[in-house]
Amino acid sequence: MFEMLARSLLIQGSWNYRTMQGAGVGFALIPVLKRLHRDDPDALARAVRRHVGFYNGHPYLSTVAIAALARMEGEEADAEEIDRFKRALVSPLGSLGDRLVWARWRPLTLLLAALLYLAGAAWWVAASAFLLLYNVVHLKLRVWGLRLGWREGRAVGRVLIGSPLRRLPDRLTIPLAAIAGGLLPLMALSVSQSNGLAPLPAVGSAVGLAAIGAWRPALAGRLAAFGILLFSLGFVILGQIAW
Amino acid sequence: MPILLCRVDDRLIHGQVVVGWGAKLGIDYIAVVDDDLAASEWEQELYRAGLPDEVEARFATVDEAADSISAWKADDSRGFILTRDIGTMRRLAERGALAGIAVNLGGLHDAPGRDRVFPYLYLSDADREELERLRRLEVEVSARDVPSARKVGIDELLDPGADRS
Repeated sequence: MFEMLARSLLIQGSWNYRTMQGAGVGFALIPVLKRLHRDDPDALARAVRRHVGFYNGHPYLSTVAIAALARMEGEEADAEEIDRFKRALVSPLGSLGDRLVWARWRPLTLLLAALLYLAGAAWWVAASAFLLLYNVVHLKLRVWGLRLGWREGRAVGRVLIGSPLRRLPDRLTIPLAAIAGGLLPLMALSVSQSNGLAPLPAVGSAVGLAAIGAWRPALAGRLAAFGILLFSLGFVILGQIAW
Repeated sequence: MPILLCRVDDRLIHGQVVVGWGAKLGIDYIAVVDDDLAASEWEQELYRAGLPDEVEARFATVDEAADSISAWKADDSRGFILTRDIGTMRRLAERGALAGIAVNLGGLHDAPGRDRVFPYLYLSDADREELERLRRLEVEVSARDVPSARKVGIDELLDPGADRS
């Protein structure tokens, strides 16, 4: 089990456009396949070859697939059935992982670290806090997936449909937006201080922007982009005049 | 026009279909037509787990789908039809179920005997034969992976080089 977990960390080690994470899945399954086909090197070679084909889910949740596949191999499931299982698993694991990790958890922990830094923590404290918090959950996900896949085998779909993890991304949206909104004025304050400018206009506009964001998200996004553009243009022009 | 997309994709329900097409066109259901899948409960659960809660997954055999498609078309709810391969689509067409429905080739991936046409489309001789049969059945067929990509018609797929004005 531990070996599968450790090998799953290298799931994207030989990523390519044709099989994507395929070779990574095969690599993680080698210890199990070796045990199952201890006395038959030909069968082992065939089994490994079957498992290096196309696979592309979310890397952290790949343990669900790896463990469930290991279990099906142990049960001597039909090779074609195993293949179909693997193909069907790509979509639920991919969409769950993308929404949960890439779209929520990573920005959330990064923003928390930025908040920590602006609140006065040393840069390395903020950076390690991010790495620690982010990866504790990352590894928990991998272990959760490994257990789930091993327990349920081909029936993981039933558990995935009812899993609270499916609703978690929606629950994280508001905290994520709140932290981003809180960070905006703080960042404006820090930028204006480091440039020796009066803090009021920058902080004021950031607070205003956050308020508009709560009212009309799309409008605030456009205003922010426009503001940053104007700001940089102003900087360039000012720089030209000064030099 | 409640059937918004009728697509051949060997990944069936996945991100490109759900987000790329589904969220853009606004759908209520995805109907997967596949004889094996219609008989396999655990496999259906896996595909269902890849859909957001508000989109329903329907699974049907070719026979069931051929009988229901006209009802789906008359229905108010908006949906997609998906098959794993061109052959399944051709069987639907032979039953007359695809009248007035255009077929989209969205993803057939590398496999022994297939050669690359586009990054998302690999075709074997058998696949080309099935396309030829669809053409004879006068079904409108074109290839396109995501809504923003260029649509490539069946004539260009089957007769590359001929008349690309």
